[in-house]
Amino acid sequence: MSIELLVQALLNGFGLAMVYVLVALGLTLIFSILEIINFAHGEFYMLGGYITYYAYALFGLNYFATLGLAILTVGLAGVAAERLIFHDLRGRALNAFIVSLGLLWVMQAGAQLAFGVLDKPVPSAFSGVVRVFGLVMSVERVVVTLSAIVLIAALYLFLRWSRPGRAMRAVAQDPDAAALQGVNIDAASALGFGVGCALAGGAGGLLAPLFAVSPAMGALPVVKAFIIIIVGGMGSLPGAVLGGLLLGGVEGLGALFMGSAAVNILGFLMVIVVLLVRPRGLLSGA
Amino acid sequence: MTVMPGSIHGLIGPNGAGKSTVFNLITGVIPLTAGEIRYKRERISELRPSEICRRGIARTFQATALFREYTVLQNVLVGAHLLAAPGLVPALLWSRAYRERERRARERAHALLTSLGLGAVAGQVAGQLPHRDQKALALAMALATGAELVILDEPLAGLTDHEKAETTAVLRRLAEQSVTVLLVEHDMKAVMGVCDTVTVLDHGVRIAEGTPREIQTNAVVIEAYLGAEEPGA
Amino acid sequence: MSGPAAGVALIALTAAALPLITRDSYYLDVATTILMNLTLTMSFRLQISTGQINMAHISFMGIGAYASALLVTRAGLSFWATLWIGALVAASLAVPIGSIALRVSGPYYFLITFAFSEVVRLFFNNFFEGLFGGPSGLVGIPKPGRVLGLAFDSKLALYGLMAVMCVVVVLALVRLDYSRFGLTAGAIRQADLVAETLGVNVFRYKLTAFVLGSFVAGLAGVFFAHFRQVLHSSDFGLEPMVLLVVFTVIGGTGSVWGPAVGTILMTIASELLRELHHYEILVFGAVLILTMLFAPEGLVALPSAARRLLRRRRRQATAPAGAGLAP
Repeated sequence: MSIELLVQALLNGFGLAMVYVLVALGLTLIFSILEIINFAHGEFYMLGGYITYYAYALFGLNYFATLGLAILTVGLAGVAAERLIFHDLRGRALNAFIVSLGLLWVMQAGAQLAFGVLDKPVPSAFSGVVRVFGLVMSVERVVVTLSAIVLIAALYLFLRWSRPGRAMRAVAQDPDAAALQGVNIDAASALGFGVGCALAGGAGGLLAPLFAVSPAMGALPVVKAFIIIIVGGMGSLPGAVLGGLLLGGVEGLGALFMGSAAVNILGFLMVIVVLLVRPRGLLSGA
Repeated sequence: MTVMPGSIHGLIGPNGAGKSTVFNLITGVIPLTAGEIRYKRERISELRPSEICRRGIARTFQATALFREYTVLQNVLVGAHLLAAPGLVPALLWSRAYRERERRARERAHALLTSLGLGAVAGQVAGQLPHRDQKALALAMALATGAELVILDEPLAGLTDHEKAETTAVLRRLAEQSVTVLLVEHDMKAVMGVCDTVTVLDHGVRIAEGTPREIQTNAVVIEAYLGAEEPGA
Repeated sequence: MSGPAAGVALIALTAAALPLITRDSYYLDVATTILMNLTLTMSFRLQISTGQINMAHISFMGIGAYASALLVTRAGLSFWATLWIGALVAASLAVPIGSIALRVSGPYYFLITFAFSEVVRLFFNNFFEGLFGGPSGLVGIPKPGRVLGLAFDSKLALYGLMAVMCVVVVLALVRLDYSRFGLTAGAIRQADLVAETLGVNVFRYKLTAFVLGSFVAGLAGVFFAHFRQVLHSSDFGLEPMVLLVVFTVIGGTGSVWGPAVGTILMTIASELLRELHHYEILVFGAVLILTMLFAPEGLVALPSAARRLLRRRRRQATAPAGAGLAP
């Protein structure tokens, strides 16, 4: 087992994990602002994938423009979902769970009826490979990983420096105090939900060329996202990045030793270990 | 700090002195990092709150903590948990012993409620009670455990003068029945009027302990209060 | 007859009456499934009554199912023994798993039990294929054998068995709910710290509910194995677990009868809509959303919610304007 093989496995794992981190960030953002777990999150990812399919694969729009379109459209869909369905459910986790489940079924069945159940392939936006120190990575994957990192950085800057971003953080920390300071909780919640879904939509657009689009494509990423945020800490954005790195590393290495179906068990075992040792997640409170 | 059995012991101090923290430590809600707490010679510092209650210590909370969906009677019945000594199998089998214990628990609960002026509202939902009744209910729940030491966190907060007088009378009655009372209060007049001993806390340190008369004339205490705020009345 | 006793009697009588109305194997199958689901949702609700949403509930059903299937097919034991052994295996495993999971609460508990359930499902799906059948599943599980001279091959007999099991479970859980156990469970759900300071060992209570619920799930699992005669790891995965949660919550978790209402109504609705395939799921999803938005305490609370609404309308109509009455 050469070092190169190990590093290659790690890199593959990390690269993919960065996109899952996007999904996880969206989920944890929604959780921190609305105190609910959105089980339909994967369906917004799927929506981003289909937008990419239709705009880029069929219509021929530029890939990055399509990505922007996916992010924007799914973000608006998220705002609509919050306004219509979720905003009264703040803090009511069990009911929100059932509602998001209902939304998941509606969106998934809707997708099956609208788009058909079959996989739709999306052509690669970038061809060729990159060789560095004996390691190989497809240009496609490099672009995907870098785009994910750019989006993560953009989110960080948005939350840190922009007014709406700071409002959202205030609501996440203490909704009552934020309200007293004049923050519009409804607007912050809607925006938070929208941004969260937008991130998922972007992730869907990024992974579409790698994995084809199908109505059920959201299931796996959202499970990975859950693993990431449990490990990293619910409501912690740096935690999501750390969780993603850990998951990527574990799964990347695991793929060397066991079949892909069995690799999935590693993520869950990691979750159980973290929940035993540090139940709130590794970086909770960040 | 030492609390003598059968006495009414007050804990006072400026805001932020750590009074509620002391209560949380005694009742096992927060872990102790240094020193120890003993009850009747037994070290209780590492026990979980339910074990501490089993030893005979019950408490109320500063923000009145009730089971808001339950009726007044149900709240007190929960408090009677230790005395009704429930078991899974008797409850499943609805045995005669179980039914008998529950009947007696109900009788005791009704008597307790009546003695605290809550007899008429036994069937009301706790969350809808007026403030004075909620405070009385919290006290009833603590007493229902059969505790020998009740720790009360601001039992007079938000009460009218008349209600405060009623409550202090209840406390005196408790002391007569050999129930020890440890309380935190901001109402100085009431504290000095009802307590046998008073401990003063400032910034987490005990700065004085003695009879109300001694405390009122203690220079260190006056300094601590004037430094922070006027002792309220 | 008192309220709870009447409720149990109603379920028992309805279950007993069904075979008199129809012997059609399809209806018996649906009814058997309803009763099995009811056993699962009632035991799930037992755990919810202490405030815990245990996403691994279905895993204990699976543990009981696989344990019994293997003991019968490999060790030649009788179903009538493995019924108890399977449930005990499930309950025994529930002790360490519950002790670990109950160290946390709220959404963390939800997530850790979900993680456990996936581990169990992946375990049954990918490991020890020789024993559990791997992705193709475990086949050839026999129906229950004869006992006391009675054969249990027919749909009717299996229905009868499940009906008896279900009624016994319902009886036990209703009794528990109306006892001090139920009182304490509700107290823990509302304010667990207060309950703890009143002498309730909250951890032990929650663990008891967890283990007891898992025992019942194990019982249902053993029945499931010998009823369906085929086991696959997906039978114990997220989808069926989610359905359990939905049945229970739609019915209403506040009352011990909620699961009954939810399970029966939703299973019937599911059967009626089955023809519509994707539209079925769409409709189901819409129903979930609408129910949770407009009847958040569940269907079982609809009568009291309606009463409250009427009372408020009546009060608004009779109160003099500007009286400033507190609500």
